[in-house]
Amino acid sequence: MAEMTRRDVLKVAAAGAVAALPGLPHKAQAQTTQKRELVVAQGGDIAFFDPHMSTSSNDIRISFNLYDNLTSRRPDGKLAPGLATEWKLQGQTTWAFKLRSGVKWHNGDTFSSADVKFSIDRSLDTGLKGNRVNTVLTTVDRVETPDPGTVLVHTKKPDPLLPARLGFYGGQVIPRKYVEAVGPDTFNQKPIGTGPVRFVSWTKDDKIVLEANPDYWGGRVDFDRLVVRALPEMAPRVAALLKGEVDLITQVPPDQGERIKANASTAVSGALYGGLYVLAVNSKRPPLDNPLVKQALSLAVDRGAIVKELWRGRGIVPNSMIAKGDNHFDASLPPLAFNPGEAKDRLKKAGYKGEEIILETTAGYLAGDKPMAEAVQAMWRDIGVNAKVEVFEYSVRAQRIRDKSFKGLWWSDPTSTLRDPDGMMWRLLGPGGSQDYWRHPEFDELGNAARFSVDEKFRADAYQKMTRIFLEHFPWIPVIQPYEDYGLQKYVEWTPDPLQQLEIRRFNFKFRRA
Amino acid sequence: MRGLLPFLASRLFRAAVALWLVSTVVFIVMRLSGDPVPLLLPPDAPRSEIFRVRAELGLDRPLPVQYVVFLGHVLRGDFGHSIHFRQPAFRVVLGYLPATFELGLTAFALALLVAVPIGVVSAVRRNTPIDHAAMGLALVGQSAPTFFIGILLILIVSLNLGLLPTSGRESWRHLVLPALTLGAFAMASIARLTRSAVLEVLRADYIRTARAKGVSEALVVTKHTLKNAAVPIVTITGLQFGTLLGGAVVTETVFAWPGIGRLAIQSIYNRDYPIVQCTVFLSAVLFIVINFCVDLVYGLLDPRVRAS
Repeated sequence: MAEMTRRDVLKVAAAGAVAALPGLPHKAQAQTTQKRELVVAQGGDIAFFDPHMSTSSNDIRISFNLYDNLTSRRPDGKLAPGLATEWKLQGQTTWAFKLRSGVKWHNGDTFSSADVKFSIDRSLDTGLKGNRVNTVLTTVDRVETPDPGTVLVHTKKPDPLLPARLGFYGGQVIPRKYVEAVGPDTFNQKPIGTGPVRFVSWTKDDKIVLEANPDYWGGRVDFDRLVVRALPEMAPRVAALLKGEVDLITQVPPDQGERIKANASTAVSGALYGGLYVLAVNSKRPPLDNPLVKQALSLAVDRGAIVKELWRGRGIVPNSMIAKGDNHFDASLPPLAFNPGEAKDRLKKAGYKGEEIILETTAGYLAGDKPMAEAVQAMWRDIGVNAKVEVFEYSVRAQRIRDKSFKGLWWSDPTSTLRDPDGMMWRLLGPGGSQDYWRHPEFDELGNAARFSVDEKFRADAYQKMTRIFLEHFPWIPVIQPYEDYGLQKYVEWTPDPLQQLEIRRFNFKFRRA
Repeated sequence: MRGLLPFLASRLFRAAVALWLVSTVVFIVMRLSGDPVPLLLPPDAPRSEIFRVRAELGLDRPLPVQYVVFLGHVLRGDFGHSIHFRQPAFRVVLGYLPATFELGLTAFALALLVAVPIGVVSAVRRNTPIDHAAMGLALVGQSAPTFFIGILLILIVSLNLGLLPTSGRESWRHLVLPALTLGAFAMASIARLTRSAVLEVLRADYIRTARAKGVSEALVVTKHTLKNAAVPIVTITGLQFGTLLGGAVVTETVFAWPGIGRLAIQSIYNRDYPIVQCTVFLSAVLFIVINFCVDLVYGLLDPRVRAS
């Protein structure tokens, strides 16, 4: 599996040919446009319009624009009003949301609190066939609607992050009357929301056509039609952008970014990923149960070189298990250190005797996972670690996650869904989380207390203490916080989102016009 | 005509056995490749959720039971519900067939229209620069992988020359590059085979006789040679036709062409058993039907086949 196949070699050759071809079209140098249609290309088709059926990034790029949430997560990471204009905590366990008035569904029906209650209840309904979001809002106990403009959400325990939860997947608000009248299948085929664009047509594996909602409460979008095309291969996706057939493309790898930048009419825009790329550790397996060994492994990784050489500078070196841009990220901490001498000392102190340490990686599940694994392996061998890279299939990885059966270390890209350590580090590393391979009584106590506290000062203090414990025990070895890059025409004014949403509302998208 | 019924019956029986084997292999291979449920759920989904979805999809039953249920359904044309699309698999696959036929038929027509004349000309003008150029091109067409040809065509024809769109399925202009890419291999194979078949016939005694009679060279080639060279050409053409309809996976991916090849590849990634089973089954049916037709065409072309 580890060798390069003939196909790989040829792919590289094709990419080289791509880079070598001179003379891109010069006509498309316009920095302004008269276009009324926005064409976006992403790596795959969507599977569902029904927002409760999927959490995949291809799907949420559409569903966050067809529907609104009560709260809206802006590209700058802040929470802004959505269908709720304001919200506040009453007592410890009741969140009160005041709803925007005069909002209409795409079919003309009036939006009200009954729709919100229906949506939250439906997202939690395990009896709903195909429900993929029923774990998102599990802190909710029940929803009350005292009047059409007010929603009271009662949580089982204090939940400081409920407004943030409602701003992400699982929190999209869908029309009760319509869904009940037509059923889930028709709703998924002909969706209706309150969002800035409304559904026109869907040709599977080809394109989705949406049109501007002229009465959108947040202002009409700056185009008449939105076409989203599925272009699975990278080279044709870039070619379509360079030729001017599409206005915006997703998932641009660093090497292709330079090609897009070199073209006169196109540019690259990136958002620092709302999450981290880490080597998760099975800390139950000797010698990885020894904190000194994990400290040595972390110290031996030259993250600066990985960012510079493999990512062409499109990333930053993390300083802890909290992503930059999240609540309680501590900017005063230095980036994780590279110190091979110190690493050797700690290995010696740990009594490491050359036991094999296995790093499992897929080829491509995470951007750059295999080359990064090979680089890390070489760095570890430099300090005398008997490191081995094993390449496995996506499905084997999924199986290992389920059985908690990783052999040593593996790549993970924890997403900070709530832009808060609770929604990322604690969700995965906490007791019962999918990466629960290591327990520490004080760490656990702090994590639990922070989860259920509505006092942000207390939480800040808890996460600071947890960071200290983390940096001693390394249940993850954070490696990079990369940029997620998009290619766009220079006449597009748009800010990418750290959580892979495609925010095209008035405040975030504009065609530059002559 | 006495032999026709038993001949048809034995061919049909063999076709049925082939289909049964194909569906069994697909069933086993897909289940060997892993569990689709973890791929459908977020990574932190609790175990109870995994069990719920497994039961919902019928994957909690013993394999032999799943197999019997599967075979029973296939007999009724029911391939189950797609795990990913949550619709009947057969209906999903049917929705993708028109695009595949459009591309496959165009590629096939293109291949035939270009390859047969080239093959004939190469044979007649053997060892001339025309022959060398044509066979050199055929060698490239046969040995270069599809994605390489596809990406190269996009870069040169679409991007540098700006003649055709890069990808998608809208007008006939969107069809040209994928059809050329897909047809390249078939075109090269048919051209090479046509050349050698025609060369063979040109050496035959009856051609010498025809020439000696004073039949014009044009008539010798079109009437006497082509018909006699047709049997091997029809064989390879039939095989290529099946490949073009069933094997457009790479071309469809490179050009974002929404056909069953792309559907199949995505369904394999998603472990969407019912869709994979249905596409492979349909491809096998196509292949078997085409081979069957090729057998019948032999009879029309060659009286010796009819006699035996």
